[in-house]
Amino acid sequence: MSEPAIRIKNLTKDFRIGVRGVKLRAVDNVSLEIGDNQIFGLLGPNGCGKSTTMKILLGLLEPTKGECSIYGINSHSVKSRLNVGFLPEAPYFYKFLSGRELVRFYARVCGVPKSEISDRTEDVLTLVSMQNAAHRRVGTYSKGMLQRIGIAQAVVHDPKLIVLDEPTAGVDPIGSHAIAELIIALKERGKTVMLCSHLLAQVEGLCDRVAIMSRGKLVLEGGVDELLEKEDQRSLIIRDFNPQAQAEIEAVLAKYGSKLDKVEAPRISLDRLFLENTDGAAIGSGQDVNDKEDA
Amino acid sequence: MPLDRESWLYRTGRRLALTAAVLMGVGLACAPLQNRVWGEVKSFQPEMNLRDLEDALGQGVIIGLLGGFRTLVADFVYLRASYYWEKSDRPNTEALLALTTSIDPRPLYFWLNAARIISYDIPVWRVRERGDFEDVPQAYKDHIYQEQVDRAMGLLDRAQSFHPDNMQIPLEKARIYYDKVKDYENAAKYYHQVTQMPDAPYYAARIYANALDNLGRSREAYEFLRELYPTLPPSEEVPQASREVVLERIREFENDLDMPLIERFPPQSIELAAPDPVNLTPFSTTGEGTSASED
Amino acid sequence: MNGSSFARLLLIARNTFLEAVRQKFFNVLVVLSIAMIASANFFRQFDFGSSELKFIADFGMGAVLLFGSILSVVVTAQLFFSEIENRTALTMLAKPVHRWEFITGKFLGVFLVLMAFVSLMLFLLAAVLYWRESNLMTYPRYADDFANGRIVNYTGILQLVFSELFKFGLLAAVTLFIASFSNTNLYTVIISFFVMIICQLQYIARDSWSDLDNPILRGIVWMLSLLFPNLQMFNVGEQLVFPTEQVTLSMGGYIGLLGYGAIYIAVLLGLSAYTFRRREI
Repeated sequence: MSEPAIRIKNLTKDFRIGVRGVKLRAVDNVSLEIGDNQIFGLLGPNGCGKSTTMKILLGLLEPTKGECSIYGINSHSVKSRLNVGFLPEAPYFYKFLSGRELVRFYARVCGVPKSEISDRTEDVLTLVSMQNAAHRRVGTYSKGMLQRIGIAQAVVHDPKLIVLDEPTAGVDPIGSHAIAELIIALKERGKTVMLCSHLLAQVEGLCDRVAIMSRGKLVLEGGVDELLEKEDQRSLIIRDFNPQAQAEIEAVLAKYGSKLDKVEAPRISLDRLFLENTDGAAIGSGQDVNDKEDA
Repeated sequence: MPLDRESWLYRTGRRLALTAAVLMGVGLACAPLQNRVWGEVKSFQPEMNLRDLEDALGQGVIIGLLGGFRTLVADFVYLRASYYWEKSDRPNTEALLALTTSIDPRPLYFWLNAARIISYDIPVWRVRERGDFEDVPQAYKDHIYQEQVDRAMGLLDRAQSFHPDNMQIPLEKARIYYDKVKDYENAAKYYHQVTQMPDAPYYAARIYANALDNLGRSREAYEFLRELYPTLPPSEEVPQASREVVLERIREFENDLDMPLIERFPPQSIELAAPDPVNLTPFSTTGEGTSASED
Repeated sequence: MNGSSFARLLLIARNTFLEAVRQKFFNVLVVLSIAMIASANFFRQFDFGSSELKFIADFGMGAVLLFGSILSVVVTAQLFFSEIENRTALTMLAKPVHRWEFITGKFLGVFLVLMAFVSLMLFLLAAVLYWRESNLMTYPRYADDFANGRIVNYTGILQLVFSELFKFGLLAAVTLFIASFSNTNLYTVIISFFVMIICQLQYIARDSWSDLDNPILRGIVWMLSLLFPNLQMFNVGEQLVFPTEQVTLSMGGYIGLLGYGAIYIAVLLGLSAYTFRRREI
């Protein structure tokens, strides 16, 4: 496909506050392109404008200037949302529906043909491992279950792009881990995933590319590896460490003009510690997290 | 200050103007339809004298009255009047009955019952206020009766302005005059009025003749019944018409008036068929305060 | 892939109705139904004769008017703002759903709720009236009142179901319009009730503007009479349930009434959709 999944061009959004309409600039001239079949993280602190950008992209807000498009269709148009699944931040779904009813309902809203609704619903419920809780009212779900059923409704119509707003906020490590695995599974199915998060550490190992926003401006954008690597530094992890060997290694390094900065014991993250002690089987490839830089 | 097209004031103003324009346009376009339907509906809803009602009810209830709860408020006031009636509380009963009919003059039931209470029940209460019923001088009783009957007539006059074509009102007047104050002059006048109206009950004509008789105008009563008789349907079809009773009465008048045989009403088929007529019920001349007192 | 607007509309309507049902809205109905049957028994203690039927009907229709008005406003506002406040509207509108479909779907859902309410209440009223009327007809002393058969016009009650439904629908559309631009549930409810009272009293402005001498006042009152629909026009219960020769709503008048309601509902929905179109969710 020649069109990128998402194209945002010179996007600016001002909010009007008060009777006289004092301007508050939430998004300031942001341009961004997200290619097909990537996991893209839009990161930044609360109130940096990432949710606003996402809402404009989904046609929930009107831009003040600039434009967004999804697979080449302008966000103004309802058609642009045919190929999008969206998980809002802290989703509250119709509490009076059961999980299965909810997914079926959104499948029908999205125009999934009647003959396919049942199959698709069961398919995505399996994908998010919610088959066993699907008969329960959504009102009884835990936060992690809500996020998972939220992802199920977002993908039930098999969209090419999935937009997730703070998918792991407020979810325990096991839940976050499961969601991370799900996101990777979606990528493997050929989907493009865009996620917004202020929990930078959690998405670090997940995203192919990230953009960082601050005060409405895009401050950084690129591949995760290229952004995070300190080009001229490498860490060695040594088993059966011997302090005497350290002096010899330093000597060898000095010979090549390198220098040993720091020696420390590598640590696993608390998340990982938690996972290992609670549900070891759940540890997978996706969440091997934030000890990379410091090791 | 230049007009800021994005200000809250401007946007709200524009929205209001647009809404007002659309609604007024619709209002104008629907005017013929509204005139047609409202013209019909309004004809069923007599105007209220708000100034009188406001003193009695207060503004809150007035809004309810105007806003479609008119019948309900009238019912409530009437039930309240019934409550005071049970307690023989004259001022409250009379005031609330008047209020009921002012609020909703449409139900005949209110008018007729109010008139009955005012003319039959309240006089008894008033006499009792003076002392033991038997001990109160007849002259005083008559005075009270006349006063209350006059009040009831005032009420029924107002009723007639709302229901000019309804025979129940003159019928009630006639009955009250006849029963309560033995005013046969007025009773005859109103019974005659009733006989001229559609749907008049058959007994009205018979009592009219009685009233004339009581006034000493037996000849007139006789002539009236002679003319009436051929218009009555046979008893097998309409028992209430009491054809036999009328014929019996005609014969009585002929005897009382000592009429020569040649002038008398020719023998009727029922007399020939049944030479020995059973003793038919005498005229009922009572009005017991319910509309179903006759037949 | 993308279904028709109509299908989506019905889906949203059905979902809205389901929400009302599962939020125990119908419990209110049960309470009201019991109250109605109880009231019918209450009037038996008075010797009203055939007028007992009038009292039962008045109280029944009064209850429908009172609670129907409250429901039209409160349920509409509640079902609308539960979408906004629970952010389910966000999920919904991020789907290929037009804003007007959302608004119209919400309205249809509320309309279904109102339909259930009105039909149930009036059906019950008809049943109670029928039972009492049959009973009263057996008393010889009331025979005169029933000389021409039954007094209550049961087809009229059926007609009343639709005229009441359109009245409440109009009220719901007014509420939805106000909700489409207001920020809170409470504000919507208060303003809607206020507008409802104005609409109920619109006829006063309508009937009196031409009698006013002051040209400015006259203009203002005239404009007011055009701005608001005439809700008083829908108070035709008496004519329909107890028609007499002089007091009968003609078929033309009845259909005109429904048409009037339908036009206003459509226009108000259009305005709601227009305002909601630019709302920031």
